[in-house]
Amino acid sequence: MRIDRSQRAWAMGSAALLAISAVAYAIYASASATGPHGGSFMGLVFGIVGFAFMIFAALLGARKRVPTWRVGRAKAWMRGHLWLGLLSLPMILFHGGFHFGGALTRVLMWLTIITVASGVYGAVLQNYVPRMMTNDVPLETIYDEIGNVRKALRMEADQAVESVCGRLGLVREIDEGQRAGGFTALRPIAASAVPLRTSAGVSAGASAVAMAPEIVLLTEEESRPLRIFYFSEVRAFLEAPAWQWQCLGHPERARKAFAAVRQLMPPVAHPALDDLLDICDEARQLMRQERLHRWLHGWLLVHIPVSLALILLGAIHAVMALRY
Amino acid sequence: MARTRTTKTVAQRIDLNYFKRPTTFKRVRLFLVILAPLLAIGWLAWQAFVHDPHVYSSGRMSGAHAVLEKQCSECHVNKTGEFSAKAADNACLSCHDGPMHHESQVRADVPACATCHVEHRGHVNIIASSNISCSECHSHLKVSAGNTLYATNIRTLEDGHPEIAALRKDFKDPGTILLNHSIHMKPIRHSPNGPVVQMECADCHRPEAVKASWPYADANYVDAKVSYDTKEVLLPVKTGTLQPRHAMGRAYMAPVKFSTSCAACHLLTFDKRFDIGVPHDKPEVVHAFVLKKFQEYIAGHPADVRVVRDPPRDLTGKPLQPEVRVLTAAQWVAERTADAEELLWRKTCKQCHALNTMKGASLPHVLEANLTERWMPHARFDHDAHRGFSCVGCHPGALASKDTSDVLVPPLANCKTCHAPGPDHAESRCFECHTYHDWSKRKEVKPMYLFPGLQAGGK
Repeated sequence: MRIDRSQRAWAMGSAALLAISAVAYAIYASASATGPHGGSFMGLVFGIVGFAFMIFAALLGARKRVPTWRVGRAKAWMRGHLWLGLLSLPMILFHGGFHFGGALTRVLMWLTIITVASGVYGAVLQNYVPRMMTNDVPLETIYDEIGNVRKALRMEADQAVESVCGRLGLVREIDEGQRAGGFTALRPIAASAVPLRTSAGVSAGASAVAMAPEIVLLTEEESRPLRIFYFSEVRAFLEAPAWQWQCLGHPERARKAFAAVRQLMPPVAHPALDDLLDICDEARQLMRQERLHRWLHGWLLVHIPVSLALILLGAIHAVMALRY
Repeated sequence: MARTRTTKTVAQRIDLNYFKRPTTFKRVRLFLVILAPLLAIGWLAWQAFVHDPHVYSSGRMSGAHAVLEKQCSECHVNKTGEFSAKAADNACLSCHDGPMHHESQVRADVPACATCHVEHRGHVNIIASSNISCSECHSHLKVSAGNTLYATNIRTLEDGHPEIAALRKDFKDPGTILLNHSIHMKPIRHSPNGPVVQMECADCHRPEAVKASWPYADANYVDAKVSYDTKEVLLPVKTGTLQPRHAMGRAYMAPVKFSTSCAACHLLTFDKRFDIGVPHDKPEVVHAFVLKKFQEYIAGHPADVRVVRDPPRDLTGKPLQPEVRVLTAAQWVAERTADAEELLWRKTCKQCHALNTMKGASLPHVLEANLTERWMPHARFDHDAHRGFSCVGCHPGALASKDTSDVLVPPLANCKTCHAPGPDHAESRCFECHTYHDWSKRKEVKPMYLFPGLQAGGK
């Protein structure tokens, strides 16, 4: 969720609540003979409010699990999660009088700090990374399907090369699934020379693609540079894309590499080379998408488990402190 | 041959059930979501298994109580099988006595120990209670009976604290020893025929524990025994004064003694026949000493009973015939003693002491010195902690004071230049100078712990 002007009311409300709490804390701390601490009346008030904010923030997870619950709009829940979760940290600091206390309270304080800090980090990322994704990855796909899309790209690249070089002797990767249009086999985009959609093809699925007639345009000798380039660079890149050590990982270096191969190949092979360049570009975008996705969601691996531990230990702390 | 993407072709690459498949990210997240709470519970379960309740402690104990760090029940006394949240007073009193603050204190206002001595705040000084602990009563002081003599609206050192009592209007030093500080702080002759010296404050004023030699001491007087007690020269400490807990030999200046500070210059000679002076003691002792000395002398010099008195000169300046008298030994001793005591009572002793001669009494009465040992009976002060400062920096009045009645205690404003709130200043909370418990009324407590036993978790 982006933090923009639509959240002004929440921001103002949170700031006002923080200011009131800070003033109340200052008065309470200066008037307390024993100094501010969690067991005092004000300390308990701050503790209860802070823990209530935490509980509310944690309920977002439950709300997401059951999206059909009619308990407020998802947007309102998310905003509450953001702002009340953020406020929980100062409330807990006021609760403890900025002391970290004993073993359990010290752990709780650090868990609170980690949870809030990771949440803030995530919120900041949510503001910038989606925009970067839109700019850098116009061919963005569903993150979970990147593996399959990459597989389709490999199939497509194989077909493009085979259309000018003949059979490459590669084993077709079969991947069954329920796809749009009633297909089960993985279908590449390519508008290749091979007629992909026939009634026989649809009914036969992947095997129809594999058995499609091949169009061989070049001789063994003429196609050698493309074959070598394809196996040494393109296929390797499509199978295990990486930025660092592959020339196709960088757009400029990729263009130069393809231009060099283009000079070695007859004009009839140039459309296939264009397709390969386009496929590599899409694979590179997917690689970028994966990286951005890890940035965008990786912090959750810290935020969610730590917040669950925090809620659990916080509840135990509350029971023990109030009981004894 | 160019690749053309349409919504349809792009969609056909996607497995419509993709969200049902577990991914690495989802698996790791699920693992961590289960692991983190399990670790949290496991940690607490382990602490319970090893019977270590201090995991629920609200903080580290003060240094004084560090040995009780894991002995929660020693202070949080068990009540029906459960810990009490508050440390009970009787738990504190089992190790410490906590004498009453003041006789006239309102009993209902007596706070619990933990109200002022807050524990579980780390290795802090547990004696350092907050100003509010004191001002809760002293900001609107009430007493159990009658009226109070003390200021009734003190909140902090900066707010409502009265001037030091000895500096308030019409208060004078009750001491009777005549001392002109001003003369002694200027270059002064060591003795009638001695060199001129510049005295320092520390030549006379030192804490008891300082063992350096005294530059103006006389060994004969230092070693001599006197018939009076040092306490006789000091004013008694007022009843009701809160005594500090620990007497520190370097905190307060010891009373100035004649033997160590005055004897080298102020000679107590009484007759030219003797090099030694009279004892610095009561008139009776002095009289006995003088008498004895003359008796011993005349026994050794019997010819001296023939007294030749130097006549007064006549107006022309010509000396008259000397008057010659022959006395008995007893007469000679009586006359010499009378002359010597005339010198002592009228000049030598009177230079510093106030003497009263009662009608018919042969010897004068020396007034009590009335030296004030503690100028701030309701506060403590540590000269040793302030040894980095020159004496006249805080007591500038000593340079100009001519009368004994001058009180040379520095005003409270002096203290406030350093003792003020904030990180750049010295401690200014009440406990820095004042004590709550009247330790003069302390009772000894019976030891209840064996050290190894306490370490092992028992008593």
